[in-house]
Amino acid sequence: MIRGIEAPSWWRPVSWVLWGLVLAAVVATIVRYATGIATIANVNQAYPWGWWVGFDMLTRIALGGVGFTMAAAAEIFGVKSLRPLTRAAVLVGLLWYATYAAVLMVELGRPWLVWWVFISWAPTSAMYEVALCAVAYMTVLMLEFSPQVLAKLGLTTPLRRIRAVYLLIVITGVSLSSLHQSSLGTLLLLVPTKVHPLWHTELLPPMFLLSAIMAGPAMMIVEHSLSTRFLRLTPRMDALRSLGRGLTVLVAVYLAVRIGDVLYRGVADQALVFDFVARWFWLEITIGLVVPLALLLTPDVERHEWRLFAAGVCVVVGVALHRLNAAVFTMKVHSWETYQPATTEVLISVGAMAAMVLVYAFVVSWLPIHTEPPIEPESGRAPSGAVAQVAS
Amino acid sequence: MSPKAMIQDNTRCIGCRACMIACMAWNNLPGDTGQHFFAGAGYQNPRDLDARNYTVITYSGIEAGPTGQPDWVFGRLLCMHCLEPACASACPTTALRKTPEGPVVFNSFRCIGCRYCMQACPFVVPKFEFDRVVPVIHKCTFCADRIAVGREPACAQVCPTEAITFGEREDMVKEARHRIASAPTRYVPHIYGLDEVGGTSILHLSSVPFEQLGYPTNLPDRPPPTLTQKALQFTPKIFTTVWVTMALITMFVRRRFRFWAEDEHGENHDPRH
Repeated sequence: MIRGIEAPSWWRPVSWVLWGLVLAAVVATIVRYATGIATIANVNQAYPWGWWVGFDMLTRIALGGVGFTMAAAAEIFGVKSLRPLTRAAVLVGLLWYATYAAVLMVELGRPWLVWWVFISWAPTSAMYEVALCAVAYMTVLMLEFSPQVLAKLGLTTPLRRIRAVYLLIVITGVSLSSLHQSSLGTLLLLVPTKVHPLWHTELLPPMFLLSAIMAGPAMMIVEHSLSTRFLRLTPRMDALRSLGRGLTVLVAVYLAVRIGDVLYRGVADQALVFDFVARWFWLEITIGLVVPLALLLTPDVERHEWRLFAAGVCVVVGVALHRLNAAVFTMKVHSWETYQPATTEVLISVGAMAAMVLVYAFVVSWLPIHTEPPIEPESGRAPSGAVAQVAS
Repeated sequence: MSPKAMIQDNTRCIGCRACMIACMAWNNLPGDTGQHFFAGAGYQNPRDLDARNYTVITYSGIEAGPTGQPDWVFGRLLCMHCLEPACASACPTTALRKTPEGPVVFNSFRCIGCRYCMQACPFVVPKFEFDRVVPVIHKCTFCADRIAVGREPACAQVCPTEAITFGEREDMVKEARHRIASAPTRYVPHIYGLDEVGGTSILHLSSVPFEQLGYPTNLPDRPPPTLTQKALQFTPKIFTTVWVTMALITMFVRRRFRFWAEDEHGENHDPRH
């Protein structure tokens, strides 16, 4: 079914490096299960949450928002140009969520008991809502992705059934996402004395949802730019244009909310002292919001793919920074105790990223994620997203 | 049973640490060799609560005591057993819960080790066994097992100077107020735990401002769970509203733009195909 996607020559050595990183993370995980979390992580009694929560939970789920935002844009709001991208969006979303779940099994102290969540009733706990909705949404992502697999395997009956309810699945996915994406903010809402005032606001839940929506088109631009380059496909400029426009609006709105909130709560002076905390704040605002907005507002941005790509990368980094700043970097509990992520903590995350790339590479070579055979093959016209050198 | 409370009168504390020993004895906790002396705030050993120490007497130096000379003041770390505990509201498996008698109790059987209770606690009380293969959360139990059979907590029983007083919370609040009123020079006019985070079951009294004892003093009077409740109460409404809105938009867009038609390139990008 898929034609012409072949790995670039450098893929083999790169894939070995990625396998090495996955292996290293697996070894670290084995050590953690054999000797306890303290061996590989710096989380401690005052800072029980570290890098794994800040990055692998809060950030991965936010970036996984690409699945529901793109599905909503294409299927619900009817942005036609984005429809060819939804398969890739769902795949990338699924990979972010799957790696979140995988790292969670390292991060939790007693992961073998995680099923307790599903037979508990704890409506007062944001963690409970995140857990239930994230699992439900992962199921939705799998259902959204299943047509690709079912078609490949030629299972027509289940395929027909999925197709019949596909829109309901998409709508349910958007509803579940708006719940748990905002509940990630509620997690931090509970600790007004530990989260720094520049980040702690009663608007955290809607802001986390908004930044997840903002991460959607950004992540999609990054994915599409990278995949078309490395798989030697022609970028769909119409889709990139739509994504760029959407991203511009979202970044502008988010920037206004973020700055407006800091000003409204009267904590702006804490950003002007230029200490450790303020530096992180300005880094987050500059890299994550101001720079991408400036790039997106340059004239003719729609014809300069690299500017869109750079803006996308900036927004993705900015979303990660916002969450890491709030939950890890600027959190202060005891004056005499600190937390810095251990190398092995970051290694687990890096290993999970490497696994994502490997699975992604396998899936795009197995299923038609980026290419779609034209409806009328006899016309001889290659679709705009098809392989550039089909004939070669 | 009506809610119980305990007064921790730090002005009466002589720093003998009998409460720490009684706590370890009653809860079968191993003795601590302690390598943290001089490592934290204050000069106590161990410096802070951990999985093996449910209560710690803190030793803080102040520049001018009652006689004008530098002096020691004592404080006590233990679970405050909040009236609306953030830890219990945070626990996704309800392993932590507030009992009607006052203690916030922990059921290790249900714990998945997410450590949200540690993060949630404004007093940084729940502790985790990061160095264990099968770790458990540990914290003061308010001797819930002793209270259940009508006895006072182990620490209250052994205190030789009556710095720890146990009883009904109503009576304890009255008693604390009475002590401050009858000896205004001895106490700072503040009952720590009366209003902090919505009130706690442990009420601290002190001769010096509480920040000099190392107590967290940036606490709101509003219980933290009310913050998250404000967001979480809308869960069913958000789900329904978003679902219905999205369904309506879908129907509208599809009717209007004849969505399923092939696009101008003759491609059909229906992801269902």
